[in-house]
Amino acid sequence: MRFHIYRFDPDVDPRPRMQAYDLPDSPADRMLLDALVRLKDMDDSLSFRRSCREGVCGSDAMNINGRNGLACIQPLHALKQPVVLRPLPGFPVIRDLIVDMTQFFAHYEAVRPYLINDQPPPERERLQSPQARDSLNGLYECILCACCSGFCPSYWWNPDKFIGPAGLLQAYRFIADSRDTATAERLADLDDVYKLYRCRTIMNCTEVCPKQLSPSRAIERIRLALTKASI
Amino acid sequence: MRQFTGQRAWLVQRLSALLLLCATAALGIYLLIEGPPGYPAWLAFARHPAGSTLILAVTAALCLHGWVGARDVVLDYLHRPAWRLCVLALVATALGLVFLRVLVVLAATLAHAP
Repeated sequence: MRFHIYRFDPDVDPRPRMQAYDLPDSPADRMLLDALVRLKDMDDSLSFRRSCREGVCGSDAMNINGRNGLACIQPLHALKQPVVLRPLPGFPVIRDLIVDMTQFFAHYEAVRPYLINDQPPPERERLQSPQARDSLNGLYECILCACCSGFCPSYWWNPDKFIGPAGLLQAYRFIADSRDTATAERLADLDDVYKLYRCRTIMNCTEVCPKQLSPSRAIERIRLALTKASI
Repeated sequence: MRQFTGQRAWLVQRLSALLLLCATAALGIYLLIEGPPGYPAWLAFARHPAGSTLILAVTAALCLHGWVGARDVVLDYLHRPAWRLCVLALVATALGLVFLRVLVVLAATLAHAP
């Protein structure tokens, strides 16, 4: 199987380059990550992140044949050759397929991704109705792999100011939570020309999410909540 | 300016788009059914209170829609404050002049009404 992989070590290389690899087929290779691990055995200078190898940790997000995805859940047989692998677009490259996610997690932290409730805590737990709990489906499952933000042109244009689809999905996860009492503050914080309204409804985020979530729907719901709050 | 940035600007852009869409559709349907109205019919429309109000509302919607849209493009693509200021000033001046021109022509039309 033939691969073209983005290689760049800022300490050594003057500019990035694409390196070709030929990997003999192996019946053990099922997912792209299996092939990458074997390539790493051939060339130990090749760098990429991986951990859980089953689509839960989100570490091995990369651009696979022009589309962001997780190498560990990408079936190898479904890929057109040569398989072109690049780092997540719009993110600063640390080395090869490893990107710097500092800014991404700073946006995540900025939306305060935790329950805020100023009421005294109950003896056991804060209860929700089944309907209120259901409203969190499609929101809490995000694994923060950054496939969505790395495929969003609005995030490429303003990565330092636009929170991005992943951060906004997380923001809505707590806006929608019936146990959270900081909804008004959260909405007021997002009512900003950059933080939320850089989204141009391109919907690449929903298109590439490897967990089949819909950040664009979450963004629409935040806008709707802001509009309702302003009436 | 702060009052016209986030949610308000977004809402104004959508409401103005709705008005422009309705006005364009109505004009299109009228032209299809009645054909080109000619100068006297336009003049009568502009002199009617409902007609002049509609012209003014559509022009205002066009200018507001254009402003929010152009501002979005500038915020996305121009990152140098000086460039931003120059381009936004040009856009604001152009849209302001369009609105002023329509206002002046409409006022003159109404002033010369029989």
